[in-house]
Amino acid sequence: MIASFRAEILKMRKRWANWVLLGVLLVVLVLLGYVLSYVILKNPPKGFRSEVPASTLLKEIFPENLIPNVLAGMGTIGAAIMIILGGLNTASEYSWVTVQTILIQKPGRLAVLFGKLLALALASLLISIAVLGIAALTSYILATVDGANGAWPAADVLLRGFAALWLQLLVWTMFGMFLGLAFRSTAAAIGGGLTYLFVIESLVGGLFRNTTGLKEVLKFLPGLNAGGINATFPFTFRNPNAAATVLVSATRGTITLVIYLLLFMILAALIFRRRDVGA
Amino acid sequence: MAQALAVETQGLTKRYGTGVLAVNDLNLAIRSGEVYGFLGPSGAGKTTTLRMLSGLLHPTSGSATVAGARPGSSASLSRLGAMVETPAFYPYLSGRDNLRVMARYCGFSVDRIDPVLEQVDLAQRSRHKFKTYSTGMKQRLGVAAALLKDPQLLILDEPTSGLDPQGTVEMRALIAEIKKEGRTVMLSSHLLNEVELTCDRVGVIAKGKLVAEGTVDELRARSGSSTLLIRATPIERAQQLLTELVGADKIRLTEGQFHLTVDPSQAASLNRRLVADGLDVSELRASEQSLEDVFLQLTETGGHQG
Repeated sequence: MIASFRAEILKMRKRWANWVLLGVLLVVLVLLGYVLSYVILKNPPKGFRSEVPASTLLKEIFPENLIPNVLAGMGTIGAAIMIILGGLNTASEYSWVTVQTILIQKPGRLAVLFGKLLALALASLLISIAVLGIAALTSYILATVDGANGAWPAADVLLRGFAALWLQLLVWTMFGMFLGLAFRSTAAAIGGGLTYLFVIESLVGGLFRNTTGLKEVLKFLPGLNAGGINATFPFTFRNPNAAATVLVSATRGTITLVIYLLLFMILAALIFRRRDVGA
Repeated sequence: MAQALAVETQGLTKRYGTGVLAVNDLNLAIRSGEVYGFLGPSGAGKTTTLRMLSGLLHPTSGSATVAGARPGSSASLSRLGAMVETPAFYPYLSGRDNLRVMARYCGFSVDRIDPVLEQVDLAQRSRHKFKTYSTGMKQRLGVAAALLKDPQLLILDEPTSGLDPQGTVEMRALIAEIKKEGRTVMLSSHLLNEVELTCDRVGVIAKGKLVAEGTVDELRARSGSSTLLIRATPIERAQQLLTELVGADKIRLTEGQFHLTVDPSQAASLNRRLVADGLDVSELRASEQSLEDVFLQLTETGGHQG
């Protein structure tokens, strides 16, 4: 498995598409999550209406709210990028037929698969570090420019927040990986994954989270369980505009995400081990 | 450890989910150190067999031993180098980096990369991206990847497919060189002259079944009938007389030459009759059947000769 992991790292490192994905993620995070918010909240447009004054809302992007702001931003764009990353790095093996080439090297099928999973896990860890690092730097710069209090969250909050971020990004990466293996097509894996994310999680999950009956089903969706974890990292001010019903507790959310993580990996292993290649 | 048999299959069968029986009760025995030609028309089951031997496809029934172990097991794969169908590599990586990836999968040091690139004559272009390679270069990189493991057994599926004449000659020379190194080569092809020039023994597969196996000479001998070539003028009268003597179904006229499917021992009597009838006989000789004739006969009749 270590041999496969080393091979996967080489492939992923040399693939420009992976770096482009990371770049897109960081640029979107900085621009939409910080710079745009700063510009708008410093100069609120006419008709800007909020129960919380813009000057208070501005704290959202300062270091004290690093964790909740990053987690909120990563719920959609982060999830989307990680689904693409997972799908791209597995389904491409089928479109290039390289899955055949690597399966006639020395390692067995499960060693090849778990090498890939380990590499994707490492990639999501490094992306989590990069996301939190860039967000922290941007937040610090904006707070300094604004002359605001640059207080940072407590170390345990930072650590738990980082763990929550990594867990969520890892689940979405493995979801993309599973779709890539199941569909054996990059377009189908990415298309299917993004459709699920934006239609089921965002649209249906957003509109029907208070609907009796449907609410019970929604409690099993990974995105809404991630929301349960994120709710334990509140902003330092109360914002009634942004308050959304939290369907599950952080504990249940964490357990559900870990189950999803294992499920995607086990299903991928079952498919990859038994399925004919090139049939 | 050298095995007496590099590849052995017993009743190997593959039926796809669609119901297509691609390989049917295949029994192969490939000796260590030989170049074995796996010959058959397109769709005969060659690639399916090679995929099963490489562990890419699971057989429906039957068993196989490849390089002394179960196909697809680490023990088998570590002694096997294979290029099945098209050489597939990462287009965004250079040839050298593709080999680095393969070396890492195998847990080998990169020291072997330069020698195998030299061996397949790809060292000069090894730093260029795979997507810029010509068909011949892709084929050679495929062989390089197969050689990287220093394997006992090489499985090469249509290695000259898509190559120009120069590339074909080079590939043949490379296979001869690999044989000299003491490796076993299993080579699939539908190109008869390639097999004739390269292989020690040949197995012919048709409709998923092995219909014949042996050296090229053994296959020719097994096919039985020979051809008598006669050039006689005037052609019309010669054709009329030969038809009376041996029957129209045994005569084929091409480019002024009669090909008679008869026992060559009839040559003298036929010659006497032609000359006695005032015909000029400028050529009369027995012709060995070409491998192409043998191949067509075997694959059309399924190996059963009357």
